[in-house]
Amino acid sequence: MKRTVLPMGPQHPVLPEPLVLDLVLVDEKVVDAVPTIGYIHRGLEALVEKIEYTEMGYVAERICGICSFMHGMGYCAAVEDVMAVEVPERARWLRVIWAELSRIQSHLLWLGLGADAFGFENLFMHCWRMREEILDIFERTTGGRVIFSVNLIGGVRRDIDDDELLVIVEKLQELGTAFEETTRVFATDPSIRHRIEGIGVLSADDARAVDVVGPMARASGLAQDVRSTGTHLYDRLDFTPVVEEAGDCLARVLVRVREVTQSIDLIRQAVARMPKGDGQAISVNVRGRPSGETFMRLEQPRGEVVYYLRANGTKMLERFRIRTPTFANVPAMITLVKGCDLADVPNIILTIDPCISCMER
Amino acid sequence: MIELAKLPMVRRSLRNLFSRPATRRYPTEVRPPVDGLRGSIRFDLEVCNFCGLCAKRCPTLALHVSREERTFAIEDLRCITCGVCIDACKQHGLVMSDSTPRVLVTGAEPPEGSGPGTRLWQGEAPARPARAGAARARKVAEET
Repeated sequence: MKRTVLPMGPQHPVLPEPLVLDLVLVDEKVVDAVPTIGYIHRGLEALVEKIEYTEMGYVAERICGICSFMHGMGYCAAVEDVMAVEVPERARWLRVIWAELSRIQSHLLWLGLGADAFGFENLFMHCWRMREEILDIFERTTGGRVIFSVNLIGGVRRDIDDDELLVIVEKLQELGTAFEETTRVFATDPSIRHRIEGIGVLSADDARAVDVVGPMARASGLAQDVRSTGTHLYDRLDFTPVVEEAGDCLARVLVRVREVTQSIDLIRQAVARMPKGDGQAISVNVRGRPSGETFMRLEQPRGEVVYYLRANGTKMLERFRIRTPTFANVPAMITLVKGCDLADVPNIILTIDPCISCMER
Repeated sequence: MIELAKLPMVRRSLRNLFSRPATRRYPTEVRPPVDGLRGSIRFDLEVCNFCGLCAKRCPTLALHVSREERTFAIEDLRCITCGVCIDACKQHGLVMSDSTPRVLVTGAEPPEGSGPGTRLWQGEAPARPARAGAARARKVAEET
């Protein structure tokens, strides 16, 4: 049978970022896929050797526009770990709240993009409208909609009033109620089921074999979530990872849908359990230069991210390496694309929630 | 045929048809800035002592301060409004403004060492020289 090689990307309607996938087709079936990356590599690991460790946090925030808070938080937490800085408790809770808000906005953005990929434009607009409300909360509390600059080494730069926190929780509860309708659409709409159910199935064994992380792993039945290790105060919240068993595109959509509701609940719990803000410190002064090495793990919206940081007592870090969730999930994407129909490729690529900016750094 | 009850988005879509739009008619309708928005850095020439701590801390090197010439310049195209300079300023001469800057790039030559779109302030000469060392250096330069 004659083989055809079809280049997909770097510009493609379903890809928000540049990725090239050379699809080898036999008729309409994909038999092989060769990814090419490197279009937006920015040399972060070389840059870290040239700028001071206090300035690197702002660069880390700009790795990706969706996980910007989480990258800033991960970097600051890694430096704090190396320098043995005790971060004030309120600051740690505020980080949890902003991190979960990031997860909600990231998932809503992705659900919109997913809906766009399977041709449900109306649902796409609807998800993005809801996301705007989260961005408004970010704007009021941090002063920015995409880049927040609230993370400091030693705490956070801005506090949120207790009254404001209650307003945020109330707003999120309203959003949660409105989101129930959207949840029903994703779970029951026959056109969505018809389009993505049973497509791109990744079994639990395969998921384990290619080491997938995040919602991708949880959709294949692996209850794998860094938050369940209890770091970053998650041990004080009632948290059970959202797990779906089917492993197909629909399961990956449903995991993210359910995680939006879960994050709203986590924020409610965090606000109830955090110390009141009457004059509490939100940051500590950090002096000196870091020395030592650490691994820091976080659960980003797309999955587990690992920061490796090594410092040698100078102003510049010696090494700062990030293993982002997309980097871990790309092998699974290639596995899934092989054997599927050409028309299903966009949906499969999107359901891993690829973030090429994160992957290439 | 699929029943309408089985299409859960239909009800929402019909509601959307008769509800207010979520978007604005920009630019005729501009949203007022939110309280605490990180729009731009506002500088107060009256209180600045030109110590240069803000410029030293700035992660993007957007600030240029000269103690000798008593000048303060900010490159709006470089500034990321992170707020580090505001935290660093002991004189409270820098504040975060919620107005986003309208950066004016003209053909004029930017101040030395800075890029286009730079706002420059020139302070008055101090009653006394800021540092005895600086005055001495100037004197030596004049003599030679």
